[in-house]
Amino acid sequence: MTEEFDVIVVGSGITGGWAAKEFCEKGFKTLVIERGRHLDHPSSEYTDMQAPWQLDNRNMAPEAYDDEGRYAMLKAKKGKLKTDTIQFFADDKEHPYSYPEDKPFMWTRGYHLGGRSITWGRQSLRWGPKDFEANAKDGHGVPWPIGYKDLEPWYNYVESFVGISANKDGIDALPDGDFLKPFEMSCVEQHVAKNMERAFKDRRLIIGRAANLTEAKTQHTEVGRSPCQARAYCQRGCTFGAYFSSLSATLPAAKKTQNLSILTDSIAYSVDYDEHKGKASGVTVIDAKTKQKRQYKARVIFLCASALGSVQILLNSKSQTFPNGIANSSGAVGHYIMDHITGTIGFGDVPGFEHKYSYGRRPIATYIPNYRHEPSEQVDFVRGYGYQATAQSRKMTGTTAKSVGIGAAVKAKANKIGQWQFKALMYGEMLPYYDNYASLHPTKKDQWGIPLLHIDAEVKENERKMIVQAAKDLKEILAVAGCENTTIREVPADRHIVVGNRTHEMGGAVMGSDPKTSVLNKWAQSHDVANLFVTDGACMSSCATQNPSLTYMAITARAADYAAKLLNQGTL
Amino acid sequence: MTPPELLNPTMSRRVFIGATAYVVSVPLFASILKTDNELIKIIDKGQFFTPEELTILTDVAEIMIPKTDTPGATDAKVAPVLDGLMVTWANDQTKQQFKTTLMQINTLARDTYQQSYTGLGCADRQQMITELDKAAFTAQTTQLSINYRRLKELIFHVFYSSEEANPDFVLIPGHYYGDLTKSQFEKVKRGETL
Repeated sequence: MTEEFDVIVVGSGITGGWAAKEFCEKGFKTLVIERGRHLDHPSSEYTDMQAPWQLDNRNMAPEAYDDEGRYAMLKAKKGKLKTDTIQFFADDKEHPYSYPEDKPFMWTRGYHLGGRSITWGRQSLRWGPKDFEANAKDGHGVPWPIGYKDLEPWYNYVESFVGISANKDGIDALPDGDFLKPFEMSCVEQHVAKNMERAFKDRRLIIGRAANLTEAKTQHTEVGRSPCQARAYCQRGCTFGAYFSSLSATLPAAKKTQNLSILTDSIAYSVDYDEHKGKASGVTVIDAKTKQKRQYKARVIFLCASALGSVQILLNSKSQTFPNGIANSSGAVGHYIMDHITGTIGFGDVPGFEHKYSYGRRPIATYIPNYRHEPSEQVDFVRGYGYQATAQSRKMTGTTAKSVGIGAAVKAKANKIGQWQFKALMYGEMLPYYDNYASLHPTKKDQWGIPLLHIDAEVKENERKMIVQAAKDLKEILAVAGCENTTIREVPADRHIVVGNRTHEMGGAVMGSDPKTSVLNKWAQSHDVANLFVTDGACMSSCATQNPSLTYMAITARAADYAAKLLNQGTL
Repeated sequence: MTPPELLNPTMSRRVFIGATAYVVSVPLFASILKTDNELIKIIDKGQFFTPEELTILTDVAEIMIPKTDTPGATDAKVAPVLDGLMVTWANDQTKQQFKTTLMQINTLARDTYQQSYTGLGCADRQQMITELDKAAFTAQTTQLSINYRRLKELIFHVFYSSEEANPDFVLIPGHYYGDLTKSQFEKVKRGETL
C-alpha cells in the first residue's frame, strides 16, 4: 500500500464512512484507518439470521468473562452480556480507560470496520434552530459558530443517502426533511398521540425517525441495500443492509470509486505535525497485532474516531508547537464532555385495546421532542428534555422463572399476549461544562503504549432539576394517555448518574468562533492546524436532546465539501 | 449442606393433584422409562452431568414445565442443552452449584421420604419439587434456595428460548402492523396479505 494519500480519515464509523465517501467521490485518494478488525458486509459475524435457539449459549455470554473481569462496563450498561451482539463491542479490559473512582464513566466502543454504526440506535433527528442558539443564549459552553440554516442543506443531503423513514410533523424544534414513508404507529401510540395533542399545546408524540429503509430508492439499491423486514435485530448487523451503517452504505459507495484504501488493525497513535509547514503531515499508527509503528502521509486529516477517541489522539499528538496535544493552543481539547441523561422513566397499562394486535418488530420507537427550550416560571433550569417512548406491541405475560410457580397451570399462563403498555424514557440535555473533561492518564498506558484516556464527568444541578421536572411531566403525560397502573421511576438526587450511559458522548474538541476558547471553527476545522478536521461527536458545542448521529453526518459532509474545495484550490 | 428450614419433616405428603396429568416425553439421551414410578432414567452420561444427575435434571425440568397440549421441557431438550451449557457457558462456580443443587434435591428426597429422588413415585417427586419451589421463594437466603432458584431460572431460560416454546416465532416478519383485529392478526401470522 502506498503511504501517501490526499486524505486520511481516522475511524470507519458513522462519520468516518461519510468522510471517506465524500472524498472518494470527489476524486481524492483516501485512506481510512480503523483500529479494529476487518468486517465484510454482509458479515459472517452478523447474527440477524439466527433464531433465539440458534444463538450461541442461548444468547448468554460465557461466565468466564465475569471471572476474568471482561466487558464489565458493557455488562453494567446492558444488565447482561449477550452473544448476539457482544462481538461488536470492545472489551474494556483489553482496551482500558480511566475515570475517578467515585465517578464511573461509560465508554462504549466498537473496534471493527464500521465501528458503532453497526450498533447505533438509528433514531435520526435534526436539531432545531434553538439547539444551535442555546449556548449563546444562556451562556453555557462555547457559542456555536453555525446555525440550523448552515446545516439544513447538509441534513437534506445526508438524509437522502441514508434513507430516513419518518413523518413530516411540522414541529419547529424538530425540522422535517425529505423522508421515506414512516413506520406505522400502533393503535395505542396513535391514541396517546391524539390525547396529547388535545391536552397539551407543547408536547407531541410522533413516530421515530429511523435510518431504516421503509422503501429503497436508487441511491440505496445502488450500494446493495434493501427494505427493512421489521425484525428489530439491527444491532446484530443487517444482512439486508436495511439500516444505514458505514458497512452497508458509505464504505461501499466509497469503494466504487476505486479511490478508497482501508487499513484495519491499525491504531492511530498520533497526528503528525510538520513544524516547518505548520500543517499536519500524516498519521502514525501502531499495528494492533505486531505493535510496530508506521506512518502515512496526507494533505488533509479527518479525525472521525468518535468523540473520545479523537480527543485521545489529539492529546497524544505532541510536538514542539503543540506540547499539550495538536490543535490545542486554546487548552480546550478534552473539555466540555457531554452525554444525554435519562433520569426518569415511566410506564402504564393502556386499557381499551384488548381487541387489537400488532405483528412484526418495528425497529424504532416513538418520540416526544423537547418542548422546554424556552424559560418558564414553573421551572428553574435551562435547556430541556424529550422522551423516547413506545407502545409498539402488547407486552407478554412473562414466566415464573424468577418467582414462585411451576407446573401445567403456571405454564398455561406463561408468555401469553398481555396488556398494551405505554412507556417513556427521558432524554435530557446535559450542559457543556468546562470541568467535565478528558485527559491523558499521567502514568497508565494500554498494551500499545498509548496513555489511557481519563474521563472525569458528572451531571450537575441543572440536570438534576430537569430529572425532577421530567418525572412530573411524565406523570401528566401518562394520565393524559389514559394509562392505568402507572409507575414513574426517578433517579434519586444522591445517586451518581453514569455519564456515557446513552452512548451519546460529545464534546472535547468543540466548535466555536474564538480560537482562544474553542478547538474548531465553523467548518469543524482546527483553528490551529488548517488541514486538520474533527467531525465526530467531539466537535459538538452542546448536546441538545436529539440523538446526534444525523448531525455528525451533516457536519462531516459539509466539512468534507469545504476541505475538498480547499484541496482543489491548493490551499491545503 | 441442606438448610434445616428446607428439610421440614412435616412437609405435606398429600398427593399432588397434577400427578395424573403427567405425560411422558423422550429426552435426547439414551434412556429407559421406569414404569413403576414413571421416571425417565438416563443411561448415557452427558458432556458434564452424570446419568443420575441427568435423570434428576430431566425430571425436575419436566415437573417445572410439563408436556401438556404444548411441548414440555423434555420435548425442548432442556437437560441436554443445559448439559452443553455447563461446558460452553458456565464457570467453575456455576458448574459446582448445579451439581450441588441436584445433590441437594436428592438429599431432600432422602430426608423427606427416606428414598433417593429417583426412587420416589411420580406424585411424590412432583409434590416435593412443588414444595421446594414454594419454600425457595419464601426463604431466599438459604443455600438450597439460592441454588434451586438459579437452576430454575436457567431451565426456564433454556425452555422459553427453544424452538418448541416459540412456535409463532417469525425470523423475518417483513412488515410491522400496529393496529390489527384478531382476524387480521391471524391472517398475517398465516403469511397471507391483508
